[in-house]
Amino acid sequence: MIVAGCDVGSLTTKAVILNNKRILSQAIISSGFKPEESAREVMATALSFAGLSTDDIQYCVGTGYGRERIPFVSTALSEIACHAKGAHWLLPTARTVIDIGGQDCKAMKLDAQGNVVRFFTNDKCAAGTGRFLEVMANILGFDLDELGKVSLQAKDPLSLASTCTAWAQAEVIHHLNAKRTKSDIASAVNQAMAARVAILARSVGIEKDVCMTGGVAKNAGVVSALERLLDVKIRRLRIDPQLVGALGAAVHARQKIGG
Amino acid sequence: MRMPTKTMRLFDDLLESPQNTLVEQASQDGRIPIGYSCAIVPEPLIMADRLFPVRLHATGVTGTEMADNYLSSFVCSYTRSLLEFAMDDRYEYIQGWVFVPSCAHMQRLIDNLEYLRKPAFSHVIDVPRKVNDVTIAWMVEELSMLAENLSSHFSVDLGDESLSRAIAEWNSFTEIVRSVGELRKRTHPPLTGTEFHTMLMSTLASPKDLIIPKILDFKQEVQQRGSPVDYRARLMLVGGHLHDPGFIRIIESQGGLVVADRFCTGSIPGLMPIEMNGDPIRNLAEHSFRKTLCPRMMEEFHRRVESIIETAREYKVDGVVIEIIKFCDLWGVDAMPLITALRKQGIPVLKLEREYRLGSEGQLRTRVQAFIESMGT
Repeated sequence: MIVAGCDVGSLTTKAVILNNKRILSQAIISSGFKPEESAREVMATALSFAGLSTDDIQYCVGTGYGRERIPFVSTALSEIACHAKGAHWLLPTARTVIDIGGQDCKAMKLDAQGNVVRFFTNDKCAAGTGRFLEVMANILGFDLDELGKVSLQAKDPLSLASTCTAWAQAEVIHHLNAKRTKSDIASAVNQAMAARVAILARSVGIEKDVCMTGGVAKNAGVVSALERLLDVKIRRLRIDPQLVGALGAAVHARQKIGG
Repeated sequence: MRMPTKTMRLFDDLLESPQNTLVEQASQDGRIPIGYSCAIVPEPLIMADRLFPVRLHATGVTGTEMADNYLSSFVCSYTRSLLEFAMDDRYEYIQGWVFVPSCAHMQRLIDNLEYLRKPAFSHVIDVPRKVNDVTIAWMVEELSMLAENLSSHFSVDLGDESLSRAIAEWNSFTEIVRSVGELRKRTHPPLTGTEFHTMLMSTLASPKDLIIPKILDFKQEVQQRGSPVDYRARLMLVGGHLHDPGFIRIIESQGGLVVADRFCTGSIPGLMPIEMNGDPIRNLAEHSFRKTLCPRMMEEFHRRVESIIETAREYKVDGVVIEIIKFCDLWGVDAMPLITALRKQGIPVLKLEREYRLGSEGQLRTRVQAFIESMGT
C-alpha cells in the first residue's frame, strides 16, 4: 500500500511517500509562487528518490496553505490535523504538539488516536513564527541552524523587551552596536521566541508527552528555552520536524484506504 | 458550487453600497432614511409614517485612513469603518441618526460624528445595562423622547396609531424572514447560511416594504430547488456585528453549513414578533430587551448562554463558531466564560478573532477546516 502526503507551506514544500509503515522517501524544496508547481516538483523528487511513478501512489493527501491548489491529491486536510497525525505516528504517546512554521504557530492537544481535540493558532503576527527567527538570524549573519547552536554558548544572556519583529530587530541592532556577543544576542532572540510560543502552548493546556514539529523545532535554543518555560521535556522526533505535516498527510492517506 | 439566484444577485447588489437602489427609490418618494447602529434601537419606531430605518454598514470598506486620524488604535474596525464611510460622505443620504452608546467605541463614533460631520438630526438613546421594572420605565421615557424629537424635526406622525401600524408591518416582515430562516432547521436545508445572511443584511439595509416582495421571491426560489445543500457539519455563528456575507462563505467553503445565528445582525432571537397590547412605546421598550442578547447587558450572562444552547439544540448544530471583532471589549470578555459554558454542555466551540473587513482568508479556512475535522464529522 503506497501512499503519499504533500505539504505546501508558505516557505517550503514537503512530500513523504509511505509504504505501509515505512517511509520510502521524502523531499523538501523551497516554495515557489505557484503552489501547484511546487507540489508537482516536490512530489516528482520524492518519487524519483523512491524509484516510483505517479501511478504507484494509491492515495495522496494534500495539506499546508496551498493544499487546495495541489492538482494531484485525493483529499486536502488542514495542516493542524496533519501535524497532529504525523507527530502521533512518530510518537504515539504525544498529547501536545507545538508546530512552528514559517509564518504561523500552532499548539494542538491530541487524544490517544492522534485526533485533534483542541488547538490554538497564531497566524496574524510574525512574532512567534519562523519568520521572526529568519529576520533575526539575518541581522546576526547566521543561518537558522547556527542561531540555535550559537545561542547555547551564551555566557551572559540578554533579553529582548519586545517580541514584535520590527522592534526586536531594532533592539538586536542596538545590542550589536553595543558590542555584545552574538551568542548572548542569539540567546535573547530564542528566549523571546520561546516566550511567545509558550503562551500559545499553555492556552491549549500542556499534557505529556510534548513534541515539536515544523522547521523551528530544529533550533536547539528555542527548544531548550521552551522546555524551561513550560517545565516539561520536549520529546525529539526521529525525522526532520519539517516533514511531519507531509508525513501526517500520508498517514491520513493510508487511513483513507483502510490502512 | 450553486449558482446565485436572480434575487440573490439583487441582494448582493443592495449590499454593495449603503445608498442602494431601494433606499434611493424610497428617498425619491419623499421618505426619510434614518441610520442606526445597534440592535437595541427598535426598528418600528423609525419605520412609522415616512421614516424608514437603515442599519449602518460599511461593507466593501477598503481602508480606514481618514478615521484612523481620529480614533485610537484600540477602537474596533467596525466603528472605524463607519466613521470612514461617514467622512467619505457615503452616508450623505441619511437624514437622521439614532445611536445607542452600546460600548465605549461606539461612543467615540458618536463624538467624532458630532465633531466632524454634525448631522442635522442625531439622537442618542440612553439604554440601561440592567433589565427590571425601573429599566422598562426608563426605556419608555427614552423612546418617548426619541419619538417626540423625530416627530418635531421631520414633521412625521409618531402617535400611537401610527406606531401600532409600524409594529404590525414589522411583525409581518419578521414573520416572512423567520419562515425563510426556519428552512435551515431541515436535516438538508435548501439554502446556505451565506444566502440567508445576504438576504437578512439586505433587509437591514433597505426599506422593509420594498424588500418584502424580494424576500418572497427568494423563498419561492429556494423552496423550488431540487437538491439540498451539501455539508459536513452544521454550525451556529455567535458574536457581534457581522455584515459581510463573505465571512460565512469562507466558513461554508470548508463544509460547515451555518444553520443558526446569534449575532447583532442575525435573526435569532432578533426577529421575534413584538407583542401588541396597549401602549406601543412600552411594547417596543420591552421588546428591545427581550430580543437583545448583548454582552453590554449586566446580569444576563446566564440568559445568553441558555439561548445559545437552546438554539443549538433546536437547529441541531454540531458546533458553535464565536466570531469577535478585534478590540471588542464586550464580546472579548464574554467569550471566555461562554466558551467554557458551551464546552461543558458538550458543544464544540471555535473562537475566531477577525476584523470588520474580510481578510486573512487562508488562515480562516485552515481554522474552520481543522475545527470541522476535530469534530470528526
